[in-house]
Amino acid sequence: MKQLHRNIKRIALCLCALFLLLAGYGAYNIIVNGNRWFSSSSNTFARTQKKNVIAGDILDRGGVLLATTVEGKREYAADAAVRRAVVHVVGDSQSNVNNGVEAFMAAHLYGFNMGFGERLSYALSGETRKGDTLHLTIDSQLAAYIAGIFPAGRAGAVAVMNYRTGEVLSSQSFPNFDPMRVTAAVKSDPQKPFFNRSVQGLYTPGSTFKIVTAVSALQNMPDVQSRAFQCTGLREIGSRVITDAGTDLEAGKITRHGQLTLLRAFQVSCNNTFAGLALEIGDAALRKTAEGFGFNDNFLFRDLVVENSSYPTENRNEGEIAWTGAGQSALTASPLHMCMIAASVANDGVMMEPQILLSAVSARGETRTEFAPRAYRTVMTEAQAAVLQEYMRAVVTGGTGTAAGISGVRVCGKTGSAEVDTQENTNAWFLGYLDEEDAPYALAIVVEEGGGGGSVAAPMAKKIFQWLLEKE
Amino acid sequence: MSKEKKSRRRKNPALALLGPVMLFYFLAFFLLGLKDANWESFLLSLAVPVMILIGTAGISRLFPADQLLLSLTNFLCALGVLILYRFSPQRGLAQAVNYGVGVGGMILCAYVVRYMPGWKWSTVLMMGGSLLLLLLPLVIGTEKNGAKSWISVGSVSVQPSEIVKLALMLCLAYLLSQRRVLLSIIFAGACLMILMLQKDLGTALLYYGVTMVLLYAAIGSLPLIGVGLAGGCGAAIVGYQMFAHVKRRVAIWLNPWADVRDAGYQIVQGLIAMVNGGVWGVGLGLGNASVIPEYYNDFVFMTILNEFGLIFGLIVLLMFLFIILRGIMIANRSRTVFHALLATACSTLLALQTFVIIGGNIKLIPLTGVTLPFISYGGTSLVSSLCIIGFLQGVASRNEAGVHADRALAERGGEGL
Repeated sequence: MKQLHRNIKRIALCLCALFLLLAGYGAYNIIVNGNRWFSSSSNTFARTQKKNVIAGDILDRGGVLLATTVEGKREYAADAAVRRAVVHVVGDSQSNVNNGVEAFMAAHLYGFNMGFGERLSYALSGETRKGDTLHLTIDSQLAAYIAGIFPAGRAGAVAVMNYRTGEVLSSQSFPNFDPMRVTAAVKSDPQKPFFNRSVQGLYTPGSTFKIVTAVSALQNMPDVQSRAFQCTGLREIGSRVITDAGTDLEAGKITRHGQLTLLRAFQVSCNNTFAGLALEIGDAALRKTAEGFGFNDNFLFRDLVVENSSYPTENRNEGEIAWTGAGQSALTASPLHMCMIAASVANDGVMMEPQILLSAVSARGETRTEFAPRAYRTVMTEAQAAVLQEYMRAVVTGGTGTAAGISGVRVCGKTGSAEVDTQENTNAWFLGYLDEEDAPYALAIVVEEGGGGGSVAAPMAKKIFQWLLEKE
Repeated sequence: MSKEKKSRRRKNPALALLGPVMLFYFLAFFLLGLKDANWESFLLSLAVPVMILIGTAGISRLFPADQLLLSLTNFLCALGVLILYRFSPQRGLAQAVNYGVGVGGMILCAYVVRYMPGWKWSTVLMMGGSLLLLLLPLVIGTEKNGAKSWISVGSVSVQPSEIVKLALMLCLAYLLSQRRVLLSIIFAGACLMILMLQKDLGTALLYYGVTMVLLYAAIGSLPLIGVGLAGGCGAAIVGYQMFAHVKRRVAIWLNPWADVRDAGYQIVQGLIAMVNGGVWGVGLGLGNASVIPEYYNDFVFMTILNEFGLIFGLIVLLMFLFIILRGIMIANRSRTVFHALLATACSTLLALQTFVIIGGNIKLIPLTGVTLPFISYGGTSLVSSLCIIGFLQGVASRNEAGVHADRALAERGGEGL
């Protein structure tokens, strides 16, 4: 009987644990996924409720009105250039853009986060409920400026963030559109203006991925900085041939870098060296580093939705592994994620979580939500970050990215010219940052079929950096 | 004497709970009446509190009932009636009738446990009857949601496994109290096999869980439990390989968002209803949880979360936990192994059933179609849940009788000195 009682007590403990599990998992889900589920397009309830609430305003970091409700109708920024430049971040009332602030923060905008007392007072006073005002981290003037310098008619994306805090200053996709004039031509445009390339576009990162390969080399090959590498211009690995930019086999032109150090290889973006590094590091170790940087992770950021980046796990033969080291193969990443990678180098190895909401303020002036900066991960040691900072500086002072250089300012960066099988021309990439204490900004630029990163994207980066420095 | 007073005072908290509970249901039905301008709701706003009063304070006059247990179950049953009535008055009233029948069943079960002189022959009878009853749906049954576990008698459809559940607990408790381990395993195994044939996997999971827990309680042999767990895992793997609908369920569980319009629709809408409710709920009568298929049955907890919110949902969960822990207390106070095992079985079954369905709702485990005790719509389920409470009441009253007998003996002993 005594043993029976003891056993029954143990059973009771297990049953209690089951209930704790239910409550715990439920709470976890609501905290992590609550807003994603709420703003899902399957939520018919939220849609019907919108009729009973006046949606809140959306402001940029300088207080510029980006969206407001006038007599029950949603209106966007007064300046058409600003309106177009921020449309992918803000979203639109027809939900043409996926996961814009209008959709993803519907809970705030439509007052679903109200407390019990607030609801009651609205109900008693008979006033129509008013949603929260959202202050975003976006700088709408910067956005308009970037839209002005982005090559006309091209598709692509630009992301700018503060690498110390993770605040996103701009996240833009091209072509954009005017949310107040959505014409049939916009809807049928083959370049898909509604598509938010900055966070949804999964691009081959090309040579910009060499930042990750270099970090992996530092992690896995202790002597790599003192080694000498040999670039012969052509290297056959399995069924694939590794070539460098400028090589044209039909014309008999082959780019050769000869003997070089890791620094020099990074500076001139030598595919051969980085392919060799990938083989030497090995697929598993390189993948581990890439996953440390957020590849293959399920991004669950607090206030914005970023498509997951992927490091390939299938069809891994030697040729594919080698090309992965140079950022090709089946690697994909969004421009905002690549911006975070540049930012992590600048921020001494700590990758900050991107943030788009400064604060949400209720119609009665109370701050409902305010986010403090949050680190996503520490992706490398400070010492490794220092090496990469030196390398990225060298790219701008005497490598492929000289076009981004500004005299008297420490601009750092990495170019990329990513090959895509279905395209004639390469995608032009530039990742970079300002190594300046009072202008801690990182950016990522991609111009689809733009050509060389150094010649197309780097000059744009220079202009954006100059704009940011003037503003400070 | 003073002891008796004390014990009566100790029971009072359960009665003190009655006031707020009655007020809650008065207001709830009153508000529903105001909203829909419906005289029936106003009537119910008086009738339901009175029913709760009778159900809690009245029944305890019939035998020394455990009032805490009574008031908690009454609250949950009334919550079921309320939430069902709010969407469909017809269903709500039907559930109220079910509840009345269930209370009858509860009293009957309490009396049976209290006064049954011996269990030997009735156990033999129940074992045979159980197997026959379980086999019945396979012969004349109708299929619902992929499981062939229902039989129709006239216009009423009954799920035999809900009735056999009660017999299983009695039989296992008796057999194990007599140390007839092998026979109990064979009997439970046979029931499980038939349930697998019916493809009623949720119920099979409950039977299996209760059997394992009782084996552990009675024997405490970890190797035996290990073998049982291994067997359960093996059966799960075989089930996964054999049944297409099990594979489908697991796939939906892993990612219901892959197909939000069809396969994952139910779970996704349930989750959305939960987050729509938020902390305070959207308010009684204001939600749209009826978009969830089976919102009144398997997904009734999500409906409650939608309208009443998270805090209320946690309170409901706590009430279930209190019922279960009360059952465990009753088990540990009982004087015979049979009664201890029976009360343990009751608590375990209620706990597992609550866990399996709510866990399925919130995507913690794959969804299997079992009902939420006391709240889900359905006569058989509600009656059998109340019968389980009846068993607990019966054991509790035996404990109480034992305490009285001891005291009488002690007093007589005192006189003798």
